[in-house]
Formats: sequence, structure tokens, C-alpha cells
Amino acid sequence: MYEFDFAPLVRYWQPLMRGLGVTFQLAGICLAAGLTLGLAVGLMRYSRRRPLQWPAAAFIELFRNAPVLVQLVWFYYAFPILIGTTMSAFTAAVLALSLNTAAFSAELFRGGIQSISKGQWEAGRALGMTEATVMRRIVLPQAVKRMIPPLTNRAIELTKMTALASTIAVPELLYQGRAINAVTFRPIETYTVVALIYLVLLWAGTLVVDFLERRLREADA
Amino acid sequence: MSRYEWDFGVVWRNLPALLSGLSGSLQITVAALVAGLLLGLLVAPLRLSRRAWFRAPASLYVNVFRSTPPLVQLFWFFYAFPILIGVRFRPYEAAVLTLALQSGAFFAEVFRAGIQSVEKGQWEAGRALGMMPATLMRRVVLPQAVKRMVLAFFERAIELFKTTTLVSTIAFADLLYEATVLVNQTFRPFEIYTAVAVTYIAVITAASLGVRSLDRRLARADA
Amino acid sequence: MIGPSPGGSLPRDRAGSAVVRLEKVHKRFGDLHVLRGIDLEVVAGETVVIIGASGSGKSTLLRCINYLEVPDAGRVFLDGRPVATRDGGVPSERELSHLRRHVGMVFQQFNLFPHMTAVQNVMEGPRSVLRMAQEEARELALRQLEKVGLLDKADQYPSRLSGGQQQRVAIARALAMEPLVMLFDEATSALDPELVGEVLLVMRDLSQAGMTMVVVTHEMGFASAAADRVVFIHEGQIHEQGTPDEVLRDPRQERTRAFLRGLEHI
Repeated sequence: MYEFDFAPLVRYWQPLMRGLGVTFQLAGICLAAGLTLGLAVGLMRYSRRRPLQWPAAAFIELFRNAPVLVQLVWFYYAFPILIGTTMSAFTAAVLALSLNTAAFSAELFRGGIQSISKGQWEAGRALGMTEATVMRRIVLPQAVKRMIPPLTNRAIELTKMTALASTIAVPELLYQGRAINAVTFRPIETYTVVALIYLVLLWAGTLVVDFLERRLREADA
Repeated sequence: MSRYEWDFGVVWRNLPALLSGLSGSLQITVAALVAGLLLGLLVAPLRLSRRAWFRAPASLYVNVFRSTPPLVQLFWFFYAFPILIGVRFRPYEAAVLTLALQSGAFFAEVFRAGIQSVEKGQWEAGRALGMMPATLMRRVVLPQAVKRMVLAFFERAIELFKTTTLVSTIAFADLLYEATVLVNQTFRPFEIYTAVAVTYIAVITAASLGVRSLDRRLARADA
Repeated sequence: MIGPSPGGSLPRDRAGSAVVRLEKVHKRFGDLHVLRGIDLEVVAGETVVIIGASGSGKSTLLRCINYLEVPDAGRVFLDGRPVATRDGGVPSERELSHLRRHVGMVFQQFNLFPHMTAVQNVMEGPRSVLRMAQEEARELALRQLEKVGLLDKADQYPSRLSGGQQQRVAIARALAMEPLVMLFDEATSALDPELVGEVLLVMRDLSQAGMTMVVVTHEMGFASAAADRVVFIHEGQIHEQGTPDEVLRDPRQERTRAFLRGLEHI
């Protein structure tokens, strides 16, 4: 019977928590940047001007279809060569994950905006509003409410992806776990605790999403 | 800064190794797909069961695998689990095990959602005729649910192929691993990683477009 | 219509006895007290039409008869036998499945099985519930389709049929089980106006042939012409019942009058 010994993890709790802090940092920055870019790309993709549409579509296909780990590796090892400079692992991770998040959230924004019935647009324009005003005052506020559950889902997916940054030596939670394991040779305790931390964090996230979705359905009904 | 001279020839010269890596990725995808599918079919009805005895462990399984990063799962099954049960795992086994369990959780969700997407009226009509739940499921609900699940299945299969890149971190010879080995040998990260990225993107985009056309065809058949 | 039923378990020799009886039935949905003590009896061969405003509990009442809704209090009797188990608990799916074979239901949204053709829909009950042989079930189904005038559409999928045709197939599907009583839950409310007539015609013929029917509807013309008894429900209670002449032409209760007046501008 295996003898569990969690003492080393207690001893290294601080570095582990620092790793968690980096995870939050990375996820936070990429979420903010990714959503902002994603909104812009989404608007471009579904604008009526052709020259805006296809680069946005290409961007979305590119960053949705490439595996995330490949994106991370490419931005850390290949991209610096392309632009002729060096890059920290954290920066490479931010680039890769933000662009990835942007590509996924572009669709999300479109879905949210299109879910507002045409009748709302017509009512606004019948009152004499310009399209931009209708978007700003009537459609977007309603759309944003609907988009919160899928956006929260995106945040959860993104947090899961930050673990991949450990492979390019970004000192987030999983990386710290691997480092601790390298010192203590206790993979079971180490990886179980790391898994549990993610589990608690992300499960709480999915509960939040479920709650928000239910609230939304009640509000609409 | 010294000028970097492109040499994409390095990719062509090492094509066999890279192709063998691609084949490795595909092998893992297929193995995990089949195993995950079977697992999902087993777990989905448990999730819908009225008995908490069946529902709780199934829900726990699904939630654990959806709420932890796949890389963490992989490390746990490769480094921790073998010690726990006293067996040695090769990268292939740990990889297939992890990815099968992960896919199983997602498929269970797909199947559950598919079944729940059949409208209530169908259930009521069957019950009003005097059908028992098993007959109702078999003759009325499942035939309708399966159509909706086919699409989700293919989308998940594509996701799975993307996730196989993780196995490179435990030294399984997939495409990304072969690429990394090559980079360490030839010091040409730009050409090699770009070629590999393009390969993944090409394969996945093609598959994705295929699924979308399938989606359109199924939608037309319903109309 | 009246004769030995394939289900076999409930005898049918009592003309004039109650096929359906509800005794002090209550039903709540959360805080909403939808049925507040319903007492209702439907005799063999009778056509009872239930009218009332939306939310008055008419559909819920109907659905309590075949236990698609489980009453919170009171009792339901089918052909003299109580639906609840002896100790007053909720019957098992198996017990309910046996009882429901004798009750036919037609839904507002038709609820035809979209992956089966018309004849397959109609044969499904006899085949999988009554365990009839395929050939026999198919013949029975074709006969039922003929009775509702849709023999030529037997091999069509529901998506190719009009609303009125789909609902007639749904009626045939329920009839194929040779039920003791047919329940109609606003069977024409989801139909375009020009398709309502063909369904009401089938329902009238059924009523005239002696089928016991409980019909929830807004179609006052049908109620006048085909009902043996009209029951007016308001806020979960029966406010008035009587012959169509009594209730529709000269109602005694003010609420009934108010309701009927509200329907006048349709």
C-alpha cells in the first residue's frame, strides 16, 4: 500500500501559490486582451464590407484550428526569429493565448449580437436612431447579458490552457508542481494536489456558469 | 543580430521522421476516440438515471475530467498513477488512457445533451401510448437523438486530434515531438515549427470544413 | 368501437357506468394551486367538452386522467379501478403503462414521431406496447388511417403532411390502441384556421360512433354540435356544467357568461 506523505507539499506551499498567482495573471491578461481583440475581429468578420471580412475569417480559422500547444511553441521558438528579437516565455504565452482567445470569442460575440431579434433593430431605427446608436444603446446591452455564460466558459477554457505554458517554462501552477516534484520525487502527492487546486477553481467556475445560465433563462422566460 | 537564413529544405530532408510523427498522432487519436466513444456510451445513461447511486459517480467523473487541464491529467496518469497501482506505463499507454478518459467524459455530455434535446412532447406521446421507458428510449428518443450527436461526435474528434499534441511532453513520438527532436538536432526552430504548425492547421481546417458541410447536409435532410 | 380490446384486462360491458371518475383532485405547480378539488364523471359513450380561460386548469385536468400529471390529492378512477396504488402512493411506470393503453391522448402539438412514416406512427403502439405481430399491426394501422381519411398518405413522413393531416394521423395513432376513452388536449389550437375543420370532422364522427371522449377546446361550434355535456372550469374549479344548450346558450353563472362574452369577437 502506497504511503502518502503530503509534508513536502506543505513545505513548498508558497512557491505553489506563487505559481497559482502567475496562472491568474496570465489568464487575466489574456482574457482581457483576447476579448477586446475578439470583439474587434467579430465585428470585422460580420461587417458588410468585404475587405474587412476575409482577413478576419482567416484569422479566426487560423487560431481556432491550430492546437494551442503548437501556438505556444511557435510563438516562443519561431516567432522571435521571424521578428529578429528575443522574447520572454511569459510574453510568448500571452501572445499565443490572447490570439487564441480572440479567435474563439469572435464567434461568441457574433452569436450574442445575432441572438437579439431583428425586431429590436427595427424598433430602434423606426424611432430614428442610426445603426450605431441602436447597436450601442439597445442591442449590445442586451447581447452582453446573453454572452456572459459563454464568456465565462471561455475563461474556464483559457485557465485550462495556461497549464500548457508550463512546457515553455512559464512559472505558473503546473510548472511549479513539476519543479516541486523534481525536488521531492513525490509525483502522486504533487500532481494530485495540483489537480485538486485546478479542480476546485474550475469546478467553481462551471457552477457560476450554470447559475448565470439559469438566471438568464428565468429572466428571458 | 546575425541574419537568419531560411532553410526550409531541412523539413523536406527530414520528412520521414515528421510523417512518422504524424502517423503517431493519428494512431493515438483513433485509439482514444474508440475507447472514449465506448466509455461515453456507457456513462451517458448513468448520468440520466433517476438513481443517485448511478448518477453521482458518473457526474463526478465527467466534472473532474472537464474541470482539470488535460496536461495535468496526462502528467498524473503518466507519473503518479503507475506508482499508485505498481505498474510501469509507456508513454503510449498513459496517453491513450488519459485521452480516452477525457474524451469519454465529453462524449457522455454529448450523448446526454443529445437525448435531452429531444422534445418533451415525444416522451409524452410515447408514455400516453403506454410505452415503458426502455421501449420509449429505444424506439422514439434514441433514433432522434443520434442524428444530433453525429455532428458533435466529429467536432469532438477534431478536438481530440488537437489535444494529442500534449503527448509530446511525455516523449511519445507524435508530430510535435518529432519536430522538437528535429529542432534540437538542427537548430532550425522557425522552419520546422512553422511547417508543423501549417500541417496541423491544414489537417484540422480540412476536417473542420468537412464537418461543416456534413452539418449542412444533415440540416437539409431534416427540412 | 366498443368490443374486446387487445389490452384485454378491463371488461367493457357496463354501458352507462363511469369510464372516468375524478374525485376531489388537487394539483399544485410550486406555489400555483391549479386544480382545486375537481369532481368529474364521464360515462361510457359520453362526449364531455371542457371549456375555460387559459390557466384555468383544463389541460392539467385532462393530463391527470392518464397521469401525465400526478395529482397532489384526490383520486382518479379508470373504468371503475383506481389509478393510485392500494397504499395511495404513485403507481409505477409499469402499472401506468398498462393503464395508459386504455386511454388515448391527442396533443395540441401532435407529437408525431418524426423518424417514422404515418403508418409506422400508427402501428407503433400496437407493435411495441401490445406486442402485436408486424403484419397484423400494419393492417390495423392502415384501417385506422382509412377511417381518418389518410390511407393515401400512409408512407409519408410527418414533415410532408399539413398540420391537419398530422393531427388526423395522431388521432389514428391513439385509436389504434382501441382505448376506452379518448382525451383531446386543445387538438386544433395549433392549426391554421382552414385546417381546423378536417380535424373537428373526424372528432365529431368519432363522437357519433359512440367513443367516450373528453375534449378540451376553444371551438364552441364543436361543443354545441357534438358535446353531450359541457363543463366550464374557472381557476381550478368546475363552475358550471350541463348540456350545450344550458351552458353555452343560457349559462346560469355570471363567470360563465363573462367567459363566453370574451370569446364573442373571435
